[in-house]
Amino acid sequence: MISKIMAAGLSRRTFLKSTAITAVGASLPSMSLAAGEPIKIGFLAPLTGAVAAWGKPGLDGCEIWAERVNAAGGIELSDGKHPVELVSYDNEYDPAKARTGATQLIREDNVSFIMMLGGDTWPGVQPVADKTGMLFSTLLPSDLSPDSTTLIAPTEVHPIYLVTGVDYLADTYPDAKTAVICAQDDALGLPSVATYLAAFEARDIEVLEEPLLFDPATTDFAPIVTRLMSSNPDIICLDTCYSDYVHPICEQLFQQGYKGKMISATADFYDQMIAKTSKEFMEGFIFQFPDFDDPALAGDNINFEDANGFYEAYAERHPGQWGAVSWEYASIMDLWKAAAEKAGSADPEAVITAMKEGGTGKHAFGDAKWWGTELFGIDNALVGDWPVVVIEDGKAVIKGFKSIPDWYDQHGDLLIKHMQAYDQMYDQRG
Amino acid sequence: MLKFLIWLIVAVALIALPHGLSFSQQEILVFLTINILVVSSYRLLTLTGEWSLAHVVIMGVGAYASALFTKELGLWVPVSMLLGGLTAALIAVILSFPLFRMKGFYFLIGSFAAGEIIRLLWKHFRDPFGGAKGIKGIDPMPDFSIGIYNFDFFEPVSYFYFAGFIVAICLWILWRIERSPVGLTFHAVHWQDKLAEASGVNLRAYRTLAFAVASGFAGIGGALLAHYIGTINPNSFDLDLMVFVLTWAIVGGTGTFYGPILGCVALTILNEVVLRELGFEQMRPLIYGAILICSILFLPKGLESIVQKFTKRRAKQ
Repeated sequence: MISKIMAAGLSRRTFLKSTAITAVGASLPSMSLAAGEPIKIGFLAPLTGAVAAWGKPGLDGCEIWAERVNAAGGIELSDGKHPVELVSYDNEYDPAKARTGATQLIREDNVSFIMMLGGDTWPGVQPVADKTGMLFSTLLPSDLSPDSTTLIAPTEVHPIYLVTGVDYLADTYPDAKTAVICAQDDALGLPSVATYLAAFEARDIEVLEEPLLFDPATTDFAPIVTRLMSSNPDIICLDTCYSDYVHPICEQLFQQGYKGKMISATADFYDQMIAKTSKEFMEGFIFQFPDFDDPALAGDNINFEDANGFYEAYAERHPGQWGAVSWEYASIMDLWKAAAEKAGSADPEAVITAMKEGGTGKHAFGDAKWWGTELFGIDNALVGDWPVVVIEDGKAVIKGFKSIPDWYDQHGDLLIKHMQAYDQMYDQRG
Repeated sequence: MLKFLIWLIVAVALIALPHGLSFSQQEILVFLTINILVVSSYRLLTLTGEWSLAHVVIMGVGAYASALFTKELGLWVPVSMLLGGLTAALIAVILSFPLFRMKGFYFLIGSFAAGEIIRLLWKHFRDPFGGAKGIKGIDPMPDFSIGIYNFDFFEPVSYFYFAGFIVAICLWILWRIERSPVGLTFHAVHWQDKLAEASGVNLRAYRTLAFAVASGFAGIGGALLAHYIGTINPNSFDLDLMVFVLTWAIVGGTGTFYGPILGCVALTILNEVVLRELGFEQMRPLIYGAILICSILFLPKGLESIVQKFTKRRAKQ
């Protein structure tokens, strides 16, 4: 392999060929496809490392989605049907590697669309998006800004949906009046902290201490949990901690005898958390990501096609691996497919125009609107209802869907206040 | 004459190299070039016998400083890069006061703690360091033309030429330092410290000098990185990257100038090209770790020992 690369480096033919490709590359992306030719979709997310739990299960879900679409004939554009092919690149949650991955996916693999987790990796990719006009998606709308017109957040509206969990908690347990928050100190943790602070304030829940921001390199959570419990709060909020943190924190809370309420953005692989603690300890744990075998996801309001069947296929192929992102990238693909078919083209500009036409879209959890100018400077986040999920008898159960725009209409000023305090508004970032 | 011809061929080969690579490999080539500077500068520090765990953070100091010089003061990018390197060297001099009260293992742990303090400062002070999100939208190198070639620094080939030129100058300086009386004194500080001290060599001053010079070049490496990807954050310079630098140095060997470079090139190609192309993306950390262990067990003097064996045999023939 190495000798091949080195040999190629000295070949006149290769030199001329790559120069020609470079010249052609200037006009990228080229989206013309022959009928029947596969449409390639890029998957640029962490597949290894601490954040892999929000990448790998998503890729697994996308592969099931692609098989289902291809079995049904593929994606129908104006020139006929095309099968879908996924091309993945492990960015290791590193902006430099994300840049390399984006370059490879666009210039070598000729993808029509790239899905990302976002966060720390997006700023590395942003210049590539600007230069090529490629359409990207993120799971983190806090990446959105007026400068990034080809970046959309069509499924996950992190961290805004977190307010629905706090609303449920306040409605269900009115006696829980004090809380503490911990989070890893990074691009995921901080906007999430600001949102929880706003949500708690909106429901008169007192946050007893400054949110405890720990270093992402932390491995020993015993002192962190001791400190969290020291003020004897009614609620411990695990913010948007990665599953590598949520698990040991819960384990420590269990070992140190915590008895109060727990709320978190995610509870990925909660069966493992129950195994490490107990069913009783995890009872009532509030989070935001359902298992798709939930009967509530078979309702008419749900736009994710055959959610229960998708979960069944996933659970069969990847037992015990279902997590927050298992369905999210697949849901993005649903929206992209619908828009591409509407536009009759996989061209990024045509797809985004079709996707945002009318200002509304079919979000997995119901019809939603393209929203976000006040918070992100651009209406590129698809926002509507979001489920509140609670662990009951060792199983995640949807307790209802709550409207994020309704909450924002009432308490948007609080959210902006806390976002500004953490420098998380679009005009403060960077 | 022959030597000149060899260097000319090497230069031409390096100019032609990116054109034989794919786009993503060209991107990797840019990062590889920067990493070669970082690992080579690290070797200069190891000449005095001290292994620091703060080298990557010091590289980050250069990156942050250069980014801020352009963003806040509007300085021209190449000037900022140079000032980034100087800032890194200055921070190293400041750190040397507490750190060089320690030796060996204690220095290693002390350097790790110092690095973590710097990383925490970046996180804590959102103004000017951007906190956990770091700094984005860092000015790139301004494009220019030299008539026969247009430098568009978004393109990896252009940036490779620029970074390659800077790194080549830095490597030449590092080489000259190593071959100078100062470099020989660094060796003496490591291997014959008592004798050197008895001869009037100020051990601490020479250790500080090696630390500052190595840090200065690492800072330039960081600045080159920052102005290419356009964003940096505290996690860009964490212990994971430091482990990579250590691994490159250990696998390549630190007995020669080219040893760490060999390690960096071989492991980067293996990790970023071969394993990815073979579809072993998710097994890369495992394979990478296995290679490190095997290298320590079966090739304790690093890849450079293979080259030495080969060249000695040829010399005998």
